[in-house]
Amino acid sequence: MIIRPRLSDFKVICLYTGKVIIGVGLLMLIPLATALCFGEWNPAIEFLIGIGACLVFGLGMEALCQTRRDLNWSHGLVVASFSWFVATALGAIPHWLSGHFGSYLDAMFDVMSGYTTTGMFLLQDLDHISHGLNMWRHVLTYAGGQGIIVIALTFLFRGTAGAYKVYVGEGKDERLMPNVIQTARAIWLVSLTYLVVGSLALWIVGVWLGQGYVRGGLHALWIFMAGWSTGGFAPQSYNTMYYHSLVYEMICAIIFIGGSFNFALHWAVWTGDKSEIRKNIEIISFFITVTLAMLITTAGLMALDVYPDTMALFRKMFYQVASGHTTTGFGTIYSRTFVRQWGPLAMLGVTLAMAIGASACSTGGGFKGIRMGIIFKSLMQDVRRMISPESARVAIKWHHITTRVLDDQTVRTAMMIVLSYIGIYALGTLVGVYYGYDLVEALFDSVSAGSNTGLSCGVANPSMPAPMKIVYIFEMWAGRLEFMSVFALMGYVVALLRGR
Amino acid sequence: MGKQGYSMMIRIHGAAAGMTGFCMAMAMLLSILSGTAQSQPPGHRIGVNPAYSVPAGDTPAGIEVNSATLVENANLWNGRIVAFKGEAIGESMVRGKMAWLHLNDDAYMEKNIEEGAVLGGYNGGHAVWVSAELAKKIRFFGDFKHDGDIVRVTGVFHAVCRDHGGDMDIHASSLEIIRPGYPVPHAVNLQRGMIAALLFVAAALLYGIRQIAVRRRI
Repeated sequence: MIIRPRLSDFKVICLYTGKVIIGVGLLMLIPLATALCFGEWNPAIEFLIGIGACLVFGLGMEALCQTRRDLNWSHGLVVASFSWFVATALGAIPHWLSGHFGSYLDAMFDVMSGYTTTGMFLLQDLDHISHGLNMWRHVLTYAGGQGIIVIALTFLFRGTAGAYKVYVGEGKDERLMPNVIQTARAIWLVSLTYLVVGSLALWIVGVWLGQGYVRGGLHALWIFMAGWSTGGFAPQSYNTMYYHSLVYEMICAIIFIGGSFNFALHWAVWTGDKSEIRKNIEIISFFITVTLAMLITTAGLMALDVYPDTMALFRKMFYQVASGHTTTGFGTIYSRTFVRQWGPLAMLGVTLAMAIGASACSTGGGFKGIRMGIIFKSLMQDVRRMISPESARVAIKWHHITTRVLDDQTVRTAMMIVLSYIGIYALGTLVGVYYGYDLVEALFDSVSAGSNTGLSCGVANPSMPAPMKIVYIFEMWAGRLEFMSVFALMGYVVALLRGR
Repeated sequence: MGKQGYSMMIRIHGAAAGMTGFCMAMAMLLSILSGTAQSQPPGHRIGVNPAYSVPAGDTPAGIEVNSATLVENANLWNGRIVAFKGEAIGESMVRGKMAWLHLNDDAYMEKNIEEGAVLGGYNGGHAVWVSAELAKKIRFFGDFKHDGDIVRVTGVFHAVCRDHGGDMDIHASSLEIIRPGYPVPHAVNLQRGMIAALLFVAAALLYGIRQIAVRRRI
């Protein structure tokens, strides 16, 4: 029997959603300050409207839904998915008011893309937008990478036992510290430290490459935010091709590869356990799958003789594949170059990289290295069982922070999530093919949206049909939250309609 | 050497053997895949996009081409001398005696959205490698507050540039300003300012109600 949620359930969900939305409103203070600094008065007003709308919603929820109840598991999952949805709707206000979007749906597409660290965009005339709006795009992706729930946990939640349930709902389940709020703060400590170091490195190189101090500084900050969060937004329409520099590309690659690793791994290394780097199942899995994807892509590029020398081939191939595999979405080639020069095999290599994606509990998306590792180990376990005597007990261990024996429940969970990802990739591809796009191109952009990568071969653009935009928004949302929260929200809607 | 040492050695050997096997398998896959393709003429297995122009034998050097054409039929235009016109955006990035420019020939070249242009899709343009001396001619670069100079360059188009790590670019030998850029005025939108003020008044009221609700709950 399905139990219909009671008023008290809605109260607790709305109360915590309100808190998260207040957090989103406070985040807009950063682009507001940027707009004021550069004398961009209209964008500043647009951010004030955005902040006002978030405060009205958040405080309205807090005024209406005060309750002593704490969150249970289903509440936590629903708060996470519902917050992301409302945060997208309200976060899109400054985007929409800027006049650079064809519809409110397009503005929501970009905001969801930012929060989910996807990096696809439908914004038109990017090269003429304000510094304020550019700052908002990148703050969205940086905040989304760490998790907007993590932000709320860091600054707005005080000692609630239910906090961990919302945190898990956002697709993270690592506890770096005994307390989840301390864990959220640890994630911010790691990210902000790297922010200072990475932005400084990019700024120095940017100025050396001929950028002015102010533009170079802003670009450095934004590129770091987009790279570390594996977001893939960039301040210019040329993305990172704009800089025409191997050094800049290398720093970007270090940043996005670092950002794609598990926070628990970063924390282990920070706290002195450097051996974790070579033992961790995700790192091993990442290096194997990235090598495979690079070989396939290289084979495709060699088959078509795209690049005249090995250095150019390796530079372009490595950057796009690593960017795809870490689900960043930075590119140093035009979108249509994938189709018009790279060809189907190289595109499939990048698609495979994007589909597998980054590490669990990182800013990245996709199947995740840990699940690939677990499924591979499970396969090995089955093979060993087949060739061992019937009486033998075959146990395989896997290492992620601690060493564990592989059990069926772990394998089942990993398989279920991977199948869900395949499901959303297939959904986007089918819709793309239905609207007349080539199969490989539809697959490429669908996988890119579902794995929160953001590379595009030209399918995702402002003129694509609205249902495709909605499907891509759903893919980004479900992929980032790793399904459970979205399923919980759907379950709540069903329970509301059919429960007793 | 103790038991642990042997165990470590076996692990290292196992890992090395695994990596070697993996690399050999991949090398075989690579050679099979690239071997088949070597029988094809290089760079010509992706067909022409008929929606965009292609150069013919009698196409004159310096013909004006747009950015979409150069991307869609890149291999066919590779190495040709072309003329390209676009709005200078961002900045000129000077590298010694040369500089990088970015010229956009999209729907916003003449008038951008901040000036009230209708939406016309993404930006589109090309990177241009030109002498720093020529790049200095440009006074305005397009951004939020400026409409950039519209510039016409002539030079060699590279689908995959050997000098620049495989970038697609134009090595320009001449540059002329077609239309100078200008600062874009932005009149403050007071109506929106009023909406923002109203929202803050509403938020203040709700904050008061929230405080009462919190006190009652306690």
